[in-house]
Amino acid sequence: MNYFPDEVIEHIFDFIASHKDRNSISLVSKSWHKIERCSRKRVFIGNCYAINPERLIERFPSLKSLTLKGKPHFADFNLVPHEWGGFVHPWIVALAKARVGLEELRLKRMVVSDESLELLSRSFAGFKSLVLVSCEGFTTDGLASIAANCRHLRELDLQENEIEDHRGQWLNCFPESSTALTSLNFSCLKGETNLAALERLVARSPNLESLKVNRAVPLDALTRLMSCAPQLVDLGVGSYENEPDQESFVKLMDAIKKCTSLRSLSGFSEVAPLCLTAFYPICQNLTSLNLSYAAEIQGNHVVRFIQFCKRLQRLWILDSIGDKGLEVVASTCKELQELRVFPSDLHDEEDNNEASVTEIGLVAISAGCPKLHSILYFCKQMTNAALITVAKNCPNFIRFRLCILEPNKPDHTTSQSLDEGFGAIVQACKGLRRLSVSGLLTDKVFLYIGMYAEQLEMLSIAFAGDTDKGMLYVLNGCKKMRKLEIRDSPFGNAALLADVDKYRTMRSLWMSSCEVTLGGCKRLARNAPWLNVEIINENENNDLMMERNEEDEREKVDRLYLYRTVVGARKDAPPCVTIL
Amino acid sequence: MSKKITLKSSDGESFEVEEAVARQSQTLANLIEDNCTDGEIPITNVTSNILAKVVEYCKKHVVVDGGDDSSSSSTSEEDLKKWDADFMQVDQSTMFDLILAANYLNVASLLDLACQTVADMITACKGAEEIRAKFGIENDFTPEEEAEIAKATQWAFQ
Repeated sequence: MNYFPDEVIEHIFDFIASHKDRNSISLVSKSWHKIERCSRKRVFIGNCYAINPERLIERFPSLKSLTLKGKPHFADFNLVPHEWGGFVHPWIVALAKARVGLEELRLKRMVVSDESLELLSRSFAGFKSLVLVSCEGFTTDGLASIAANCRHLRELDLQENEIEDHRGQWLNCFPESSTALTSLNFSCLKGETNLAALERLVARSPNLESLKVNRAVPLDALTRLMSCAPQLVDLGVGSYENEPDQESFVKLMDAIKKCTSLRSLSGFSEVAPLCLTAFYPICQNLTSLNLSYAAEIQGNHVVRFIQFCKRLQRLWILDSIGDKGLEVVASTCKELQELRVFPSDLHDEEDNNEASVTEIGLVAISAGCPKLHSILYFCKQMTNAALITVAKNCPNFIRFRLCILEPNKPDHTTSQSLDEGFGAIVQACKGLRRLSVSGLLTDKVFLYIGMYAEQLEMLSIAFAGDTDKGMLYVLNGCKKMRKLEIRDSPFGNAALLADVDKYRTMRSLWMSSCEVTLGGCKRLARNAPWLNVEIINENENNDLMMERNEEDEREKVDRLYLYRTVVGARKDAPPCVTIL
Repeated sequence: MSKKITLKSSDGESFEVEEAVARQSQTLANLIEDNCTDGEIPITNVTSNILAKVVEYCKKHVVVDGGDDSSSSSTSEEDLKKWDADFMQVDQSTMFDLILAANYLNVASLLDLACQTVADMITACKGAEEIRAKFGIENDFTPEEEAEIAKATQWAFQ
């Protein structure tokens, strides 16, 4: 192969797409490295502060698609201040300056401004796809520039972002010549939409496969949209509080019947039960269903709906479905691969047992759905016996996230910790890559995790463990660990500092409300200059923290976030963040 | 009656093929267009054993004229895929010679097939060292260079 012309090697590389494989081939030899990096189209950066835009462009000048992630995962639980960082602007500026032929930008937990979106829209003539997940900092004015200027836009996908809504003229900004849209998702916008503009846009987009509207799109508009887009594969609907009248219902049902390609359904932030029944004709085709926003609808309506969905592979619902509802899912959805059960009422005072799920539902699902590999399960109680049964039924879990709502809750039948239950999970599920643990847990569960979870890449710990040993079992045992996030657990400096080189092999570590001290963190930063060790403390500023004397070194750190980086300390940290 | 073309390998062996078969090679198709195909066409870069394989592939992949109903053509698509997979069951040296021949003769589908096969062999390896071992590629990085690139690759782009 040493005598292959470069273009032949490049041709072989055209068939190698995954980041992991491309990263491997880039290390084989100098010529392979050069060919690979010059032909690389898609780049994934899991932590935007691990590298900078200039080095990205230097290495991959031909890139077309960039994925960037900013804030750590615990930002979803309001543990990371808004101004922490993850700004996309410098990246867009650098890519524009270098005239990179960017076509696709995918951002998660980044700060995006209208200025950034405007610059993006004007700098890349071939720009096709913008996907923003859990981002913030922009308004619908930014969306207007994207709509107006990106002539070849195919995909605009906004998931769970915080967007300031200046009330809907942005849809008008798509020029009449814009007919290439394949995916439009603005479900997270809170304000009114220009319905006429939306309908015209959908009508002139024959390739539109995915459409997710926001709550402000009423039923009659939805009906018209579906009528002019019967080719839709993925639909997110709005909010339908009121029962439709007979005529509207019939029209809606007729429109739905024509959508024979529909495979995925979501939205329904409120939905009157009758509305839901209008979708019955296409239930049998659905492979993905997300009813997790439908807080007001009663479990039995959801269950009746699901009974028609025999082909479901992915289901996101609320715990109002109850254990009985999950039993129906277990007997109906034999193709189920991914299940997420979200809590419907996080602040309930009454112990409403009907509106929640327990270990019974989880066991039923594990018994009935042989293809299940990913689960996120919020519940009020759990037992070791149930987890042991689940482990036996489903050894194929890749992702297992169990969130018992009350911290430190033991097995409710034996009052013991849940160490054995989670131990059974990690022992049986040899391919487990992501795990979240909860309930009463001692150091023992971490012994099991360190011993058995050989493929584990991401672990979330809250209110668990007894001593530093717990964290050490994980750090020493889990060779493939990439992201470790811990809150409210008694792990301290001894665990943090035991094996500094371990952090070379991990993307990041998060510890909040644990026992690590400022002194420990400073020592770590001294021993590992290739780490950014960030202390987040919203009550302080940088200068005060750096002047701390000996006594204060013993003070516990509120939030610690550390990550490996090839470009040193970032320059854009706000006052509440100190980089040691 | 379709025209026949004669190809001569680098080691002197002759292969007579139908014009439609030869046209699978863009290089040969161009020669046919330019009316340069009287007598034998010397394929100087390709030995007889490899040229035989290329001819075999092109014969199999000639698109037959005349409309069949869609059901039978989809079955033959499956069979063709299977045939291709069997066709690619060759040793590494032959595989590479096939790639070079397909590249030289510009037989797009054969080049894609062979490159895909090699790509699959690469992705089956667990890292750069295994890839080098499998394909006999020399590591010409200095240890420092390699460490630097590995660090940036693993820390930033994964």
